Amino acid sequence: MTALKRRMRFVGPLAALMLVVAACGGDAGDTTTTADAATTTAADVTTTADEDTTTMAGGDTTTTAPTAEGPVEVSAAESISATFLPKCTNIAVFPQANEGAEEAAAELGSDPAEFVGPADCGDATGQIEFMTNAVTQGVDAIMVSNNAGDELAPSAQAASDAGIPVVSWDSPIPSAEGESVFIAQVDFDETGQVMAEMARDILGEEGGQFAILSATPEAANQNAWIAAMEEVIQGPDYANLELVDTVYGNDVAEDSVNQALALVDSHQDLELIMAPTTVGIVAAAQAMTQEGLCDQVKVSGLGLPDEMREYALSGCAPAFALWSFVDLGYLAYYVAYGIATGQIEAVEGQTFVAGRLGEYTITADPTRDAGLRVLMGPFSVYTADNVDG
Amino acid sequence: MREWVARNRWEAVLLGVLLVTIVVNAMLSPFYLGLGNFINLFWLSGEKIIVAIVMAFVIINGEIDLSVASVMGFSAAVLASVHAGGDVPFVVAILIALAAGAGAGLVQGLVVARLGLPSLVVTLAGLIGFRGAARVLLEDRSVGDFPEWFDRLGQEALTGPVPLVLLIFFVGLVVAWVVLERSALGRRIYVIGSSAEVARYSGIEVAGLKLRLFVASGLVSGLAGVLFAARLGSVRGSLAEFYELDIITMVLLGGVSIFGGSGSMLGVALAIFTVLNIRNGLGLANVDGIVQTGVIGLLLIGSVLLPNLAQRLRSALPRARTATKAPP
Repeated sequence: MTALKRRMRFVGPLAALMLVVAACGGDAGDTTTTADAATTTAADVTTTADEDTTTMAGGDTTTTAPTAEGPVEVSAAESISATFLPKCTNIAVFPQANEGAEEAAAELGSDPAEFVGPADCGDATGQIEFMTNAVTQGVDAIMVSNNAGDELAPSAQAASDAGIPVVSWDSPIPSAEGESVFIAQVDFDETGQVMAEMARDILGEEGGQFAILSATPEAANQNAWIAAMEEVIQGPDYANLELVDTVYGNDVAEDSVNQALALVDSHQDLELIMAPTTVGIVAAAQAMTQEGLCDQVKVSGLGLPDEMREYALSGCAPAFALWSFVDLGYLAYYVAYGIATGQIEAVEGQTFVAGRLGEYTITADPTRDAGLRVLMGPFSVYTADNVDG
Repeated sequence: MREWVARNRWEAVLLGVLLVTIVVNAMLSPFYLGLGNFINLFWLSGEKIIVAIVMAFVIINGEIDLSVASVMGFSAAVLASVHAGGDVPFVVAILIALAAGAGAGLVQGLVVARLGLPSLVVTLAGLIGFRGAARVLLEDRSVGDFPEWFDRLGQEALTGPVPLVLLIFFVGLVVAWVVLERSALGRRIYVIGSSAEVARYSGIEVAGLKLRLFVASGLVSGLAGVLFAARLGSVRGSLAEFYELDIITMVLLGGVSIFGGSGSMLGVALAIFTVLNIRNGLGLANVDGIVQTGVIGLLLIGSVLLPNLAQRLRSALPRARTATKAPP
């Protein structure tokens, strides 16, 4: 199966779908309600993107929803073997996600998934190797946080061809080739919105210059968030914010520290470093603290409360945001298990209940040209006031 | 048999390690033995092992080429940017990319062979320079959208279950063995590696041969880069980064002396098989990437230490036979 043919496969049904949606446009209103509710509960911080989501989910419910019998409660069936494949294994958030997956496996009476991954978060070929090995092992499901772009697509397609559902979480396969469904932590546009709001709050009325310290230049999720943020700050409310640079610390602490210091050196008027990665934000806060620059340059972005507590309290990082990676791994396992045991299908409009997290709906992914997603949410914004709780 | 073992001690050791690896893997994982897995384990490292063959020539010749992985990235980046520029037929873009690889080898070869600078320094500069060039060409973008037939070459089997990259590797291995161990050219490569001085006095054109080897190294690295681009379906500036370490590891583990002059293609082949099988076995046993890297690192230390220790020991013993691995 070639890349082009795979893409073509999407076009046919998609066109048909659009026709049907257009035809049923008038009475789609009723069927949207369930999907609508799920989407709204999932996202606490409301953005314009939510409207897209609901429209698409609503439209699709009319055509592809299996039955209108309400959500499927994913429950214990047979034990499955699965691979839980993070971008790399040595960044704190990924073992956390695996904890969630283990919790879900225990609830569902299944063996925990194998937690394996490359040593280096920028190692796309390493991830291809683990994916290929999982197919050789004939696992029942693969859960992956893609550490590059479409490089992973051929091996994911091979898994899919072998009948193994590939559930991506945290970072999707951009073309969605070979991917069953993507478990999105939060809406990617929302991430941009939240980062822009934090930047505005920190820089205050008069605004100022800020720079982005990201993970690897390849990371699909970070790139999507940055693009979303860049779009948000085009708006009139953010006219005082000036993005002067975007640099990459490769999710390596040392590189990130150096990149943060280089930012300060090359931009005299820099007032904020926005790091949409848990490694980058700690590194930046550490660098600013050590160099005594915290009064001049603040740090914000996506960070783990555990790692950021001291900088939030010291005022170096007045605000940062994140979602629960434990929940993300938990939800990914529930979806993978549900698909692998045939309880749910990876189709638009499928609704299901995932243990303690409640009800979700599989919708078209509004952030990509193709693919399905489940939106987890919500965002938590942490400041000195709530970082301890 | 005994005679073969006596003459090829390191190869015998490697063969033993390989057999043990295969048996242990087969016992640990029910998925290990199988044609599909064996093809996969070569396929997943196909680009590296092609370059390892030519690296063996360079090291036996008494030089080193640290720039191979950067040249892989560079030629792949050239391919991607020429293709993205449009207008040029894709086959021409491939030829330009291969020429870029050969050109990278030519430049470094000229400096080493004609100016007499140490290849360690020259190709270290190449490692940095060509990686930089790849990043400049592509910036932070991922450039792909190659023709379908090209992606297929990298992602699907060519004949039966065998992909193109494996065909190239195994044919290359046989050709390399013939050239290195059964031809006058090969003999000259060993002589130069043992002592360039002696080679020069015996009328061997040392500089010319070194130059040709560096061009070959660049060209093969370029080919590997193009094949890698086909397997991934897109190219980034970081393609094949740090692969030189794995490639040199495999060659040294194969018993090729880092000082030049000795080593065999059989040893290199056995080392490649061993490393790939260990890696595959670890992967199928769900061993994490960090541990895998550690194990391969230990292999490198062992591969440099053991043969040298053995040699010291042998020369320390008064009546030890002087077993040289170079053919007469």
